[in-house]
Amino acid sequence: MSYGNYDSYNTTSYGAQGGAGGGGFIPGDGSQNSPSGNKGYGKDTLRPVTIKQLIDAQPMHQEGEFKVDGAEITTITVVGQIRNISVQTTNITYKLDDGTGTIEVKKWVDSDAAQNGSETKLADNMYVRAWGKLKSYGNKRHVGATVIRPIADHNEISYHLLEATVVHLELTRGPPDSASKGANTNGAQGYQQLGYGAADDMGPTGGMSATAKKVYQCLKTTPQTNEGLHQQDIAARLNLDIAEVSKAGDDLLQLGVIYTTVDDVTWAVLEMD
Amino acid sequence: MTEATPRILAPYLSQFQGQTVRILGKVVQLAGETAFIDAGGKVTLDLKTNRDCHLAVGNAVEIIGKVDSNLEVKVFTSTDMGQGIDFDAANAVVDATHKYKEIFYE
Repeated sequence: MSYGNYDSYNTTSYGAQGGAGGGGFIPGDGSQNSPSGNKGYGKDTLRPVTIKQLIDAQPMHQEGEFKVDGAEITTITVVGQIRNISVQTTNITYKLDDGTGTIEVKKWVDSDAAQNGSETKLADNMYVRAWGKLKSYGNKRHVGATVIRPIADHNEISYHLLEATVVHLELTRGPPDSASKGANTNGAQGYQQLGYGAADDMGPTGGMSATAKKVYQCLKTTPQTNEGLHQQDIAARLNLDIAEVSKAGDDLLQLGVIYTTVDDVTWAVLEMD
Repeated sequence: MTEATPRILAPYLSQFQGQTVRILGKVVQLAGETAFIDAGGKVTLDLKTNRDCHLAVGNAVEIIGKVDSNLEVKVFTSTDMGQGIDFDAANAVVDATHKYKEIFYE
């Protein structure tokens, strides 16, 4: 199981050393090394996961890499209860159980830390959080942990599981916003969040420009007489250029969701119910 | 002990008869070999299977045990969780684990 560890060290630290150890400064040398040396560096993540997710993780082509929910995992964190501790010469193996499954978590013995006694704090049935990388050795999976620490506040168990759920949902269903509508510009998205409850009422505005949406929303929500609102009034309320409002108004008129009242530049929403 | 121990609350008991589950609740009353905890409703614990578990009234406790035919829970292990447990969060976890089973239970 140590091989996986060394591999990852190779790609990062050795790659970087190559530039320095090569003697003589060659312009561009460093940057040439970095794309391969730091391969995967940019996608390094720290994922909160359940043990079941680790058991179900799909191996990738490259040895020792896994995917969960279609996204590659690098460093992961799990929270679980220690079911068994087995002390070996080079490592301590903890069997962790988080209710969704069990997995072995191996921590290399650090002779310095052992002397401090900081490694002995962990005991059976204790809840701990571990950070590390999922490894596969033979057909067995384990987590090569960098840190394992006891959990002081038991609410951390709840929040870890909820966090793992959020990340899982975000990866499988996309971020919370995109669920409502796909290709929105930023401005429109902000607006939609504000008026989320009214999202259903905005049916006819799908696919139009951000400004048009704002103008439509303004016409819909601003108290007004049956004469509607003048485009100057709208421009002032939205803090927009009058030309933009005018153009947005044209679009809305064309779509038939608003109509002109006293003149061509005073509009009201065409209620469809 | 089976590999997975679903987290449940009192209303789920009948659905998990015969299974090993995890229940987080607040200890309400101790009565010899039985105890009552509040976990989204009253749950009766059967302590005959584990006499070593030390329950403290008023503290939160996480039970791993088997739901028997009377919907009582035979306790295998218990973990004291002290006073500071946010039960709203813990109950939200139970909800999430049943709603998004794919990452928690088969």
